[in-house]
Amino acid sequence: MTASQIGSSTRRFGGYERVTGSQEFVADLRLDGMLFVKLVSIDCARARIVSVDTSAARGLAGVVAVVTSDDLPQPVPRFGPVYKDRPILAVGETKYHGEPVAAVVAESKDVAEVAASLVAIQFEELPAVFTVASALDPLSPLVQEPGLRSAGTLANTNVLSEQVFGWGDLAATEADLVIENDYCFPMVTHFAIEPHGCMVVSSSGGFEVWSPVQHPYLLQAILADLFDLPLTRVRVVAPDPGGAFGGKQNPKFEPLLCFLARMTKRPVRLILTLEESFQATRRTSAEIHIRSGFSRDGLLCFQDIESNFLLGAYADIAGRVVSKSNYLGCGPYCTPVARIRARALLSHTTPSCAFRGFGTPQVAWALESQMDAAARHLGIDGLQIRLMNLAAKGDDVVPGDVPADGEWAQSVRKAASAVGWGEPLAPNHGRGIAVGIKSGATTGLSYSTIRLLFDGSVTIYAGTSDMGQGARTIFAQIVSDELGVPIDQIDVVMGDTSVVPFDLQTSASRSTVFMGNAILDACRDIQLQVRELAAELHGTALENVRIEAGGVFISDMKVSIPEVVQASLGRLRGELIGNGTMRRTDIANHPLGGSPAFFEFNCTAFEVSVDVETGEVSVIKHVSVGDTGKSLNPLQVEMQDEGAAIMGLGHTMMEHIILDESGRIANHGALDYRIPTSKDLPLSLSTYSIENADGPGPYGSKGVSEGAILCTAPAFASAVTEATGVVIRDLPLTPERVWRAMRDGASDSSKVE
Amino acid sequence: MKPFSYQRPGSLAQTFDLLSEYGSSARILAGGTDLIVGLRQQTVDASVLVDIKGIGEFLPGVALVDGHFVIGATTDISRICEYEKFRATFPALVEAMETVGSVQIRNRATLVGNVCNASPAADTVPPLAIYGAMVNVGGRDGTRLVPVQEFIQGPRQTALRPGEFVLSIQLPVPNAPLGVGFARLTRRRGVDLATVNLSCSIDSVGTVRFAFGAVGPRLVLGVDRSGVLADSGAPAGDRDAALANLIAGTSPRTDIRGTRDYRSAMLLVLGRRILAEAASRLGSGQP
Amino acid sequence: MTDALPVVLNINGLKYEFEVLPYRSLLDVLRDELGLTGTKECCAVGECGACTVHFDGRSINACLMLAIEADGGSVTTIEGIAAPGEMTRVQDAFLEHGAVQCGFCIPGMVMSAEYLLARNPHPTEQETREGLSGNLCRCGGYNRMLKAISSVSEESTP
Repeated sequence: MTASQIGSSTRRFGGYERVTGSQEFVADLRLDGMLFVKLVSIDCARARIVSVDTSAARGLAGVVAVVTSDDLPQPVPRFGPVYKDRPILAVGETKYHGEPVAAVVAESKDVAEVAASLVAIQFEELPAVFTVASALDPLSPLVQEPGLRSAGTLANTNVLSEQVFGWGDLAATEADLVIENDYCFPMVTHFAIEPHGCMVVSSSGGFEVWSPVQHPYLLQAILADLFDLPLTRVRVVAPDPGGAFGGKQNPKFEPLLCFLARMTKRPVRLILTLEESFQATRRTSAEIHIRSGFSRDGLLCFQDIESNFLLGAYADIAGRVVSKSNYLGCGPYCTPVARIRARALLSHTTPSCAFRGFGTPQVAWALESQMDAAARHLGIDGLQIRLMNLAAKGDDVVPGDVPADGEWAQSVRKAASAVGWGEPLAPNHGRGIAVGIKSGATTGLSYSTIRLLFDGSVTIYAGTSDMGQGARTIFAQIVSDELGVPIDQIDVVMGDTSVVPFDLQTSASRSTVFMGNAILDACRDIQLQVRELAAELHGTALENVRIEAGGVFISDMKVSIPEVVQASLGRLRGELIGNGTMRRTDIANHPLGGSPAFFEFNCTAFEVSVDVETGEVSVIKHVSVGDTGKSLNPLQVEMQDEGAAIMGLGHTMMEHIILDESGRIANHGALDYRIPTSKDLPLSLSTYSIENADGPGPYGSKGVSEGAILCTAPAFASAVTEATGVVIRDLPLTPERVWRAMRDGASDSSKVE
Repeated sequence: MKPFSYQRPGSLAQTFDLLSEYGSSARILAGGTDLIVGLRQQTVDASVLVDIKGIGEFLPGVALVDGHFVIGATTDISRICEYEKFRATFPALVEAMETVGSVQIRNRATLVGNVCNASPAADTVPPLAIYGAMVNVGGRDGTRLVPVQEFIQGPRQTALRPGEFVLSIQLPVPNAPLGVGFARLTRRRGVDLATVNLSCSIDSVGTVRFAFGAVGPRLVLGVDRSGVLADSGAPAGDRDAALANLIAGTSPRTDIRGTRDYRSAMLLVLGRRILAEAASRLGSGQP
Repeated sequence: MTDALPVVLNINGLKYEFEVLPYRSLLDVLRDELGLTGTKECCAVGECGACTVHFDGRSINACLMLAIEADGGSVTTIEGIAAPGEMTRVQDAFLEHGAVQCGFCIPGMVMSAEYLLARNPHPTEQETREGLSGNLCRCGGYNRMLKAISSVSEESTP
């Protein structure tokens, strides 16, 4: 017997490999005869491609192929996780800065790079759409040809989708105080330290693809569809991503590499530079207009929200980002009346996709800043106004949908006490607090297979991507407890569609709940088999055999699971195989296709000090409290929470993609796009979990990896407001922006009725 | 990177030969922390790199010669910062040097390279100018000394003539009491390029000198001999007016790191702060 | 293109003799030619520190050094920081304190932490932050790294 693993800070699976450099990321893999791919793009966002002269590049020794869209099947295939809108290479026109027009395939990285610089592209820059205003302007050019769009009134606009959510009669609702404001959340980039990349081998009529993709089975399906292959002919090997944060969910260049592998009949490899990764994907930016009504006591009367999210040139999964985040646009509150109009707008910019928080940080920036504006106008404390409006467990947050699933006020009180809410403040110091909820995964399907080997050791098969959240560790902890196996006798196999059963995806903080439940289910399957074997072995009825804490109890006798297995299977040895499933299917007519499996709730609080002459903000205390249900591995929960918090500080204090007049990224790369360093870490950062075992995951757990990024910005901004008296509604709060607000005396300029 | 060839001369004479042979297609390689980035981003073109780290005449580290500290062209910033006497003599320069890149960068980057890179935002340049640094330029026909503020003529432009390269930087040990301050403003606390940087000195007769970086195509210098800036008891309005007078010589621009008006405003704010720092150092007898 | 030049390098205690094209970085050579892929590549401009190695005992960005420049020197990479199958105290502490998430920055981070502690066995928190500031961790593990380094520092006798 082993001590219980659940609830203990078991060391991270794969940790040794990571600290010693032996963990193999995709760029560390080598294939015999491998060719190197370099993408060729042009120096502006939208342009008509006049001509592409590849002769000089082709003439360079070591160049195997230079491919443009003319060399691809016609019409050039398009793909995407929702809409098939992204061409393999640009056709006729580029739609964003960095969209590949050609690809060079060469014997070495250096030759590919030089050859790429020799590809001569004549182009004519065209008018383009880079902003929300321009995307909404009917006179602006269309980003996508109407023929590519699904039929309907929107096909001749740059509106990809528009959804209205709401309840109650807004027109008939009165409020003592109505506050109306506009908020901006800029484009930011994922900046995974591992740049994007992939390798492809074309063989026996199919492909083997190595990609650190978050959804290997989706990539497999998209490639099988593009090349009209059975799924068995597309094997996706997914090495653990070196950071993904949503940016590696969906296929980017894997389809191109498949064509190149097929054309050259050699293995091909593409590793992007960091700058190219900036151009591959980003977070959806947003402009949110919001009217909030309150009673004079501070109770919410209504929210009227108009969100415009600026997507890139291709939809990727960003339409879902917009709908899912706006669906919970009223946050974790009891909101009597709501109208939320959310638009997903196409533009000639980097295709946006999922990014940790999946749109919620954008929405929460506006919503939570409104709560503070109301609190200021009503003379109510920022903590109080939240507590009085917060949904209690069982209260509706969206009427008719699943109610609040946690004791959220506990998190808020914990954060308030940890940040020292209400204690005296030094001059130029301020505190702020904010809350956020994100819908966990709605629908989903995860399978797991577990092999209990003859000696009692276990192999777990799980299609999750272990991208830093430590999924392997959690899965092994569950199995260790359920089957009584020492943790070091457990192997977790992931990342190979030819070996591991299907998992829909690794996203939305789902894996502990979805795959965790599938694994628990597989353990139950094995436990039943063990009980049956034990009953047979001891000539007793099944109900006389029970399994507790990984041990087998036959009436009063206790034996271990391996003892039962070995005694039963005998000389021929063998193993027990358990299968488990977690499935949540579609709900007809639900705006999201299904209800949230759980809510990820977070409360964040800050104490800051502001240098009122320069606008520099120092973070004295940063507190994050998550409603985790049950922290299966407390250390890993803290790691995730701290990580999300620091990432949130990035978009709050310093991160934003700056576009120039041609739609090029002006701060392109590590020198001018700033993310937090060790010196930017708060002076004190602490995270806490509220555990009431009220989640749908194993042992009452919920997903946890996004909570601390949800409301970082509004909590921080609120603290800055308390310290300085100025209110800022555009992110990030750079020193200059804070200084400018103070210089201009930008006190609360809310439109108030 | 685009292909280039590599030479590692063993002597100054060989280096001058290579520079005359290859002309403008040759680039001097010492620390490489700016050069390699430029080559990789194709903002610098070179067909040959001349690595000067094998030149026998260069002394490693920092030498004190005839009242001057001499820092050779291959001495990296971390090494310089290890010299206690140097740290004690040029504290504001050391502060600036310790903001250049990260530990890893400073372990390679040379002070001479930071000057030769001729970036308007180079952090070491304002304090170098304030301490009176001279750039020792070597050519086949001998050497010449050029004040650092004259050596850097504009973005990526130096006073180097064909066939020349920088052998060292000479810093005179102040022969009279001097207090010097340095400050910079960045977008984050970690490694960052400066939005503005500045240095100033106060001497015992009340002369105040300022050097402002990242607010013009080249370093902007200003001198105040009125004594107002040196007098911490003078009315704040008078001091600000005097400082504003010096700042008037700058021409900050708006770019991705900051706007023109923010930069201007910060020169005043940080200018006041480093004046106080310089005065305190002067008072404590530390340069 | 240009001719390859001979290089002699001591890497992790072993002598390597090979020829290298002059425009190849030390990082390229370690990863692509010598198969030492523990050293990672991200930004290629010396900002992220994923490629941190020790050259002649000092931490550097291998992306900003040409392999030919390293001729005659000695390099320690993450593969050579501990004996095979073992971990240094820093590596162990990183795991113990939960400093490792995706792991891509970790080899470079470990090399920076080792360098810091070798020169300054008892750094203040400020010094540790400075010592790690040339290494970016997007998973945001800095707080845990500070704790890990502090625990190693406390273990060693002042």
